[in-house]
Parts: sequence; C-alpha cells; structure tokens
Amino acid sequence: MSSLSEEVLLVVKKVRQRKQDGTLYLMAERIAWGPEGKDRFTVSHLYADIRCQKISPDGKAKIQLQLVLHTGESTTFHFSNESSALKDRDAAKELLQQLLPKFKKKANKELEEKNRMLQEDPVLFQLYKDLVVSQVISADEFWANRLGDINNADPTSSNNKQEVGISGAFLADIRPQTDGCNGLRYNLTADIIESIFRTYPAVKEKYSENVPHNLTEKEFWTRFFQSHYFHRDRINTGTQDIFSECAKQDEKGLKSMVVQGVKNPLVDLLSLEDKTLDEGYGFCKTFPSTSNSNRTVKESSNSAIIKRFNHHSAMVLAAGSRKGETPADHASETSSTDGNSRDSDFFQPPVKKVKLQEVIEYEDLQRENRPKTVALNLKKSDRYAHGPVPLQSQHYTTSQDIINSVNYIRHEMLNYKPNLTQVLSSTTASSAIAALSPGGVLMQAATQQAINQMVPTEVQGELKHLYAAAGELLRHFWSCFPVNTPFLEEKLTGHLEEMLQTAYRKFHIWQTRRMLRKT
Amino acid sequence: MKLNIEGLLVYFPYDYIYPEQYSYMLELKRTLDAKGHGVLEMPSGTGKTISLLSLIVAYQKAFPLEVTKLIYCSRTVPEIEKVVEELRKLMEFYSKQTGESNNFLALALSSRKNLCIHPEVSALRFGKEVDGKCHSLTASYIRAQRHSTPDVPVCRFYEEFDAVGRQVPLPAGIYNLDDLKDFGRRKGWCPYYLARYSILHANIVVYSYHYLLDPKIADLVSKELAKNSVVVFDEAHNIDNVCIDSMSVNITRRTLDRCHTNVDTLQNTIQKIKETDAAKLKMEYRRLVEGLKEANVARETDVYLANPVLPDEILKEAVPGNIRTAEHFVGFLKRFLEYLKSRLRVQHVVQESAPQFLKDIFDKVCIDRKPLRFCAERLQSLLRTLEIADIADFSAVTLISNFATLVSTYSQGFTIIIEPFEDRTPTIANPVLHFSCMDPSIAIKPVFQRFQSVIITSGTLSPLDIYPRILDFRPVTMASFTMTLARTCLCPLIVGRGNDQVALSSKFETREDFAVIRNYGNLLLEMSAIVPDGIVAFFTSYVYMENIVASWYEQGILENIQRNKLIFIETPDAAETSMALEKYQEACENGRGAILLSVARGKVSEGIDFVHHFGRAVIMFGVPYVYTQSRILKARLEYLRDQFQIRENDFLTFDAMRHAAQCVGRAIRGKTDYGLMIFADKRYARADKRGKLPRWIQEHINDGSLNLTVDEAVQLSKHFLRQMAQPFRQEDQLGLSLLTLEQLESEEMLQKIAKIAHQT
Repeated sequence: MSSLSEEVLLVVKKVRQRKQDGTLYLMAERIAWGPEGKDRFTVSHLYADIRCQKISPDGKAKIQLQLVLHTGESTTFHFSNESSALKDRDAAKELLQQLLPKFKKKANKELEEKNRMLQEDPVLFQLYKDLVVSQVISADEFWANRLGDINNADPTSSNNKQEVGISGAFLADIRPQTDGCNGLRYNLTADIIESIFRTYPAVKEKYSENVPHNLTEKEFWTRFFQSHYFHRDRINTGTQDIFSECAKQDEKGLKSMVVQGVKNPLVDLLSLEDKTLDEGYGFCKTFPSTSNSNRTVKESSNSAIIKRFNHHSAMVLAAGSRKGETPADHASETSSTDGNSRDSDFFQPPVKKVKLQEVIEYEDLQRENRPKTVALNLKKSDRYAHGPVPLQSQHYTTSQDIINSVNYIRHEMLNYKPNLTQVLSSTTASSAIAALSPGGVLMQAATQQAINQMVPTEVQGELKHLYAAAGELLRHFWSCFPVNTPFLEEKLTGHLEEMLQTAYRKFHIWQTRRMLRKT
Repeated sequence: MKLNIEGLLVYFPYDYIYPEQYSYMLELKRTLDAKGHGVLEMPSGTGKTISLLSLIVAYQKAFPLEVTKLIYCSRTVPEIEKVVEELRKLMEFYSKQTGESNNFLALALSSRKNLCIHPEVSALRFGKEVDGKCHSLTASYIRAQRHSTPDVPVCRFYEEFDAVGRQVPLPAGIYNLDDLKDFGRRKGWCPYYLARYSILHANIVVYSYHYLLDPKIADLVSKELAKNSVVVFDEAHNIDNVCIDSMSVNITRRTLDRCHTNVDTLQNTIQKIKETDAAKLKMEYRRLVEGLKEANVARETDVYLANPVLPDEILKEAVPGNIRTAEHFVGFLKRFLEYLKSRLRVQHVVQESAPQFLKDIFDKVCIDRKPLRFCAERLQSLLRTLEIADIADFSAVTLISNFATLVSTYSQGFTIIIEPFEDRTPTIANPVLHFSCMDPSIAIKPVFQRFQSVIITSGTLSPLDIYPRILDFRPVTMASFTMTLARTCLCPLIVGRGNDQVALSSKFETREDFAVIRNYGNLLLEMSAIVPDGIVAFFTSYVYMENIVASWYEQGILENIQRNKLIFIETPDAAETSMALEKYQEACENGRGAILLSVARGKVSEGIDFVHHFGRAVIMFGVPYVYTQSRILKARLEYLRDQFQIRENDFLTFDAMRHAAQCVGRAIRGKTDYGLMIFADKRYARADKRGKLPRWIQEHINDGSLNLTVDEAVQLSKHFLRQMAQPFRQEDQLGLSLLTLEQLESEEMLQKIAKIAHQT
C-alpha cells in the first residue's frame, strides 16, 4: 500500500546479485534490487525481516554486502562498479546501519513475543506445528487473533519484562587479539558497548561529550583501550588522558557507596566490635602500613586491582538490578544520610529486627505452621474420581428376594441330576472355561478396560492434537460470522472449508493408522 | 516442649529438639551441679545458644539461691543482640506455658556508641569520640560546676537518670539494645547508665568479652557482679587472644610525645589548682596516706572482681611517699618518660624480661619498683582530683602508667621487645616498645576465681584439652559434641594436587610459585562453574591474597571467573569491605552468584555467617599459620613451651587449624544448610593437622578425599551438590537428627544420645 509513495533513500547502480547486474534501492521500509532493464524488483526485503548485514573484509577483491534474514536465508550483493564500488558499498552499509536498528526493535519484539508464547505454551506450539507448519493456515492468520488477544488482555505482561542484566565478564569478551603485525585488535559489539556504558556511566558521558565533535567513534574506542582506565592497574593516569576524569569519578562513586554504608546491620563490619581496644593496647598486629610513602608501586597497584574488582562487580550488579530506579534511589539515600542520623536511626530497627529474627530462626525445630490439612480418606477412590453418578432407576433386590433365590438354587442343586448323555466334549468345556475366566471373551464386560489403556499414548497424543487443531479451525470458522465483508466470505467459502477438509482428512488418516496398529 | 534433664524441668521453646542439644544440656547441668567450669564444643548451627539459655534459665528458676545471675559474653554486637532475641523467645514460651508473667530481668549492655540517645553525642561516628563527649557531659565535677554556673552543658538524659532512675529498678523484661534505647527515650533516662546500673540486679546480662576480660573496663562495669553467677563465653575459640590483647601495651614515639603534652597539662593544672584550691590537693594526699583500704576491704569481703592491674599486695599498703604529692608524681612521670624515650633510641632489637627492665630503670634513673606499681592507681586519683574534663585526651599517659604498674607487678608472663624499625622497612626508623602479655591466664584468672561456673563454648574448640592448659584452669567437664545428620550436609575435601600433579600448598617455599597460584586459580574457576550462588574463599593473609589476585588478573583467570560469578574482595578498610559484603549478598540473592575473596583471621572470617545460599562452598587456600617471624610470637611460643609444655609446632598448628575451622564453619549454619568445605593444601591431609579439626568436621573426611586433584574434587562436589539440591523435609530428619518428645524419651534414643558427647 505504501509502495506507491515509497521514498527512495539511496540508489546504487551496478550491483550484482546472482551474477546478474542490477540496481539496488534502499527505501524507507525495505531494500530492493531489480535486474538491469527490468521494471520490477526480483529481490525485496523489509528491513524488519533483516537480522543483520555483513560486509566483506577490506582487503578482498570482491566487494560484497550480505543481508541475513530472520528466516536464515541470506542475499548477497556484489558491488561491481570499478571506480566507486567501495564507496557505494559503504554508503549502503552506513544507511542500513542507521535504518536497521529502527525496525529491528519492532520486529524483534514481536518475534520475541511470539517465540516466548510458543515456548511457554506447549499446546500452542503443537497447534502451531499442526496448523502452520503443515500449511493448513498461514502464520499471519494464526497469529492474527492470538497476538491481538494477548496484547489486549494484559499489556503489562509483555512490558513488564525483566531487564536483561550485564555479563560480569563483558570486558573479558573483548580480549585483544594480535593481528599479526604488532597491533592489537579488539572486538567490540553493540552489546559490549552498551554494557560498558551501563556499567561505567562516566565513559558514556565522555562518549557523548566527545564523539561526534572531537573524535570519531573509532578513535574514541582506540583511546579507551589505550588508556590506563581500561587497564585495571591504573595508577598513574596521565592528565592528558581523557579518561583520567572517569577514573576519578569512579573513585568518587566507590567512596560514596562506602560512605552510604550498608543497610543490613549484620554485615556492617564497622559496628561489629563492641569495644575496640584503646590505642596502644593489644597484641601488635602487623598491619600493612597504610601510609602510601612506604608502599611499593606493585603493592599499591595490587590494591588498586582489588578496588577495581569490587567497584566493577558493584556496578554490574547495580546496572543489572534496577536500572531505572537507581538515580532516585541514590538521591533519597544520600539525603537521608546527609540529614541527621536521627531519622536513619528510626528506620533502622525494623530491618535489624527482621534480620535478627531470620538469623535465630530454626525452621526445622519448629512444627510447620501452615494450616493443618485433613488427610483424605477415601473408601471408594473411583467414586471420587468420577464424581457423583446421576441416580438411575434401579431394580433393587430386597433381602427377601435374595433369600428366596438362594433357597431356590439350593433346591435346584439338591434335585440336580447330571444328564450324562448330553455333556459337552472336553475341548468345548475347556474353551468355555477359558471364555469365562478373567480375560476371556465373555468376561471382557466385567474387566472394563478404559480407552486410555487400550490406545498407545502416542496415538492418544495425536488425537489430542487433532482435536485441538480442529477446535482452532472451528474457532476461525465461527469467528467469520456474521459474514459482513467479502474477505470473510471468501475465507469462509474458500480456504476455511478446505482447511476443515484437511483436518478431517488428517483425522481419517489417524483413524486408519490406529486401526492398523490395533490389529 | 518440656524436658526432664536429670530431674530439672527445662522449658525448651521448640516442638522438636536435636539430640545433641539434649546431650549438651545434660553436660551443662552436670557442670552447674558441680559448681565448676566447663569446656563444651558443639557445632555451629545446632542451637547452642538456645540450649544454654534454656538450661541455665531453668536452673535459675529451680535454684534461685545457687545461681543468681547469668553473665553471657559474646564477641560482636550482632551476636549479643541475637542472644537477647533468643532469650526473648524463651521467655515468651515460659509465660505462654506457665501462664504467669515473666519476672526475669535480662538485658544487653554495650558501649555508649550503641546505647547513647543524646542527639549530639550519638551522632559521632567513633566509639572513642562518643565516650569522650559523654564523659565531658556527665563527669561529676562538670555537674558540680553546673550548680554554680547553670550554662555549663550537661546531658539531660543522664541528669534525669541520676535524679530518679535509681529509685525504681528496671521493670522485669527482656531488653535488647534497641529496647533499652526506647525505654530511655520514653523515660528520658540515659540507657547506657541505666543498663550499667541494672546489670547489678538483672538475672541475665549479655555483653561482650571485654567487660569481663579487659581489666580497665571490668573494673568499671563488672566489679560488683555477684559471685554465684554463671559466666558463659560463647564463640570462645579466640579467648586467649582477647586476654592477651587486653594486657599488652605498645609504646611508640608518638605515644611518648602525646604523653609528654599530657604531663605538661597535668603540671599546669596542678599549678593552677594550687593557687585556687590547695585544700583539694591536701585532701587527696590524706586519702592516699590512708591507702587503698576501701578497695582492699571490698575485695576481702568478696564484693569485687579482682583487677589484675591492681594486685592484691598494693591494696594493703599506702601509696609510697615519693609519689604522694601531685607535683612529685608528675616529676616521677617525667623521669619515667625520659627513660622510655632513651630506651626507644636503640639501633637494634632488644628483648628483655620484666625484672631486667626494672633493674635497668633502677640503675639508670633510680626509679624503684614500688612507686611504679602504684602508678596507675595514683594517676587515676590525680585525674579525679584535677577534674580533667576529657579523659580521652589522657589516654597516652594512662597507657604509660598502666604499663608501669604491669611491668612492676608481673615478673613472669610478659616480655619487653623494643624494635627500632619495622621488619619490612628497615630504613625507616619507627621504634616501638612492645610490652606483650604471653600468658592469657593472667587476665582471665580473676574470672575463674570469682565466679562459680565458667562455661567456655564454641563451634570450634578442638583440641579441647589445650584451652584449660593455656588458660590455666581445671574444668569439671570437657566435651565435644558431634552433629547428628539425616544427610551428610557437609562435604570436606582436601585438594592436595592440581590437575598437573603439582602439589598445592601455601607454605613459604612455594608461595611465589606460579604453578601453585595457577592451580589455585583453576580450582576457583572450576568451582565457580559448578557451585550455585555464593562461594567464599579464604587466604592465609592479606598480602598473600593481594599477590594471588594480582597474578590471577595477569593470567586472565579472574576474567574467566567473572563469566560465572561476580567477584568481591575484602580490603583492609572495614567500610569498603562492608559494602562489598552487602553487594556479595545481593548478588547471591538475585541469582547471579558471587565469589567473596577474604582473609582468615580477618573481620569477615570472625564475624560474618554465610548461611544457605550465601555460602555453598568455602575454599581455604593454604593453612592459615600466623606470621611466625614476629618476635612477639616467638617469645610467646617459648613461654608456652617452658610454662605449659606445649610444643611450638603444636601450638602453631592448633592456632592455624582453629582459624581454618572457623573459616570453613562459616558456611554451615544448621542442619538444613549444606556446603562444601574445600581445604586446598596438601598439608591438611597429615594426621597432625586433620586431627586438630573439630570432630564434627573430621568425621566426614574419608580416606578417599585426602589428596584429591582439582578435577576429582570437582567431580565429588558435583555429586554432592546434586544430592543436596533435592528437597529436604522435616520428616526426613525426624527420629534421626530431630526428635519429638516421645522419641527423645525412648530408651534406645537415650543410649544413642549418650554417645554424642565425646568426653576428653
């Protein structure tokens, strides 16, 4: 629909695809390629469908750009304009780089949502397999009312997703590799950059201060990796280093964290000791002297590493746990500590009480104090399982009847005289006994086998799936009424009927399979 | 449930009981019956505190005349508060069961810092500042001055307490620190002084060791506690060090300089007073002539706890004439000070005994032994007379005078070491005079002598027989209890080799060995991959940890560990470490998992528990031997050898193993808890080391796990963790490690229980 007014952002000529020359168009919502001299596109991908783009390394003879789709397919474009191939490719790449993330988020969200639903709900997944994979209905149709339902029903569930944390080792993932000629190569991905920014806000600040104006992105990161800031044994961060300020800020952050103190009084080492010995008393502990003058460089670098690790872990933790709340939380905390300690004193006891109670609790010594349940004592478990049986008019036998019949039988037995001329042959007799003993032909009614025992589980499962699939189709069917649009009418008369046919056929196949298996 | 412990009705506030708790109470009851002292080792997390409290409270109720008071000493403030909370639970159970309201008074006592409610004073951060400020507001002469000049600031809480607080005793009940503060706020009384006053008639007092063991504090606080009290030292595995600490003195140049200014101030004040109020000094003189009779009478009639700084002999005598007047005493102090200064001007290490020191001081500056002995007492008297506002300022001169008294009182048990510089920095002159106590029994002796029963208990007191020897007392019971377990929830493993067969050890020769460090790193890395939630690793010393962390960082091991868990590291700074600890717990809590690298003998290893998921594995890198090159330690070892016939190696190993046991024991805090205990040093496999671990750990080390490689340990751990992760219900324990009353009373069970206590 928008194809009429599509805005063409970039046109690159002399681009080959599948050994055909053509032109590449980058439009507002899609990328397309048409062979030379033709008026239509043979290749057209929505940006939302594209997972990523790859480019050929700089030194290669062929200058290519590959698009990988979410489906796993890929399309490769070869830029063949001798003079400006590289420039063309880079222009396309840059533009794509800007465009893709915009669509990516949307697409990803939807895709993720669908994925999540399928993973969480095995029934739905099966349904999806039965209907979509076997091409009874199309995926769009399948999702059309599903997603809508879900989104309308509880929009919070999808929004309320947990924030993805940061890997503790994201700095380890940028292990430098030697590129063979006295250089180091660091692999940076968008995720890692994001992690760095979230963990070290100071770096982000520097980035936003410097990057477009003073430095290019590449230069910025090169400097970052060169700086002592990145190397953890940062002792002598030179003043000309743009990151020296970050180091100071980190230091400050660490200090403020320390000053804030801890909320849990049980881990507060400062208030652990009740009465410290006065100065001058005590068994002299050989403390490493804290004055910086007589510490060697190595020692102070070691303790710097330790500090950095603590800081790093704390930042990762903070970034992961409550991203949005941190600033407000910090502010409130500092204000309460900056204010008089009186009110922090008032807040403290409850936390302390709770923690203390937690610690002295011996859960296993206590009787479990959940509400007592009464054990169910069933005399007839099948009655319980099947629920009450509707009262049927039954023919009751009174005790008198029983006595009468017993008397009658006794009477018969007394008068029983074997008719020896009309006995059964021994084979017939034994077969009759067999038929009457449990499991025999005549005794089958007595040992009623439930259907679920007769049919193997996989067949049952299949039937269940067929049932669910048919149900889904019927839902589609009924949702078409009242038929007030031509689309619905077409759906009803055309493919829905066909679908139901398919479903029925499937059922039929299942039926025959079942019969086959049975015999 | 109500228990019958050899004829004593004990209320136990739970529906079930661990067999070892019953056994523990039996032993405790026997100790109290015999009116003797006891040493009891029971694993942490088996409800030691509640057993102790239940039995002793029951005993107090049954025999109110024989045991009037329970003095419960613990180590840290949270620990003290925990005890009071458990006591509260017990008392609630009592009143629920008997239906009568509780007539017991129990309270916690802590330093001013934790009890002050004065808005300005309590805002101060450090305990010493709080004490000093408090003193400047509450000292008797300050308050006397207020009568003449009403604008002198005083503490209204103290005034209020002083006016009415003593008339009515604190109503019966359980008072934790916060309860005392609340009560104080309501009444407008000072909680600290209220508590100090109330401990005299309280049934149960919970406070820290120092209030009994440190003579300076004990003299103020615990002097008048009743003789027929039961004293409990909980977490007492380090009690000898506490004793030694409270009696040792270190004197540096800085101390002497500050002392100098103190003495000058004293002199000026004396001069001033002499001009204005000579009568006051005369009065003091008269008092000193009469001697310390008052104190002597009190001690003879058994009202006071003896003060080891104030030996018996001097109480009978008057203060010698040459220090009786204030000026003479200040002159005396100056002479003494000059002598100490000259002693600090040494070029090489000097070590001498107290008699040698006394002889030298007599030869050089003609100071006799006798006036030295009265130094501490004389200074106290002078400070009182001169109405010095801030005692804290005079800490230096107090220190020196205490030193003088101690050095002249004890000819044995102390040593004097003068070091001109630190060992690590021989070029920087920093002379220190260590006057170090080597005999812990000196400080604790008055406690054993005065109180009828002293119970020493902890989770790790092995080997039991060493404590009576070094503390010099004769216990009537010594018992170690094992932990009855329905499932073996602890898994001690001794990792002796790396995967490349390199022997793992933190011994001095291989300390810098990269192969060992790498293998240690490997162990931690592999464990971080398989252990859920929290791992705590302990190193033998801070320097060692720093080096290892640095080389792990260089080798990229830490980065790999970070893939599995976050890393937090203890630092010498307590505030920083607290922050790291809290973050560590947060990381364990939210499922990310974390590793805490820490130091044995550090604050973390002594005071923080890692319950449940906060510590699923403890790794002990190396054997935490104390730094053996220290001269003080060498002197102490020599003393132990000569006096107590304890061989140096035995003591060192004992000391190392009790710290190792403390560290690994941090992870197991109860029967529903579980954890790996990894001893990463091949020396742990030796019988002399292994044999010194507590019995409840030792019995789970099987011969197969004595010299494992890293890989083998990982395999065993995986298996163990998988088993432990299965649901564990109360029913699984019942009858084995958890008993109902009926089960407890069965004959068979009683026989089993008799085996739990391991008498030595």
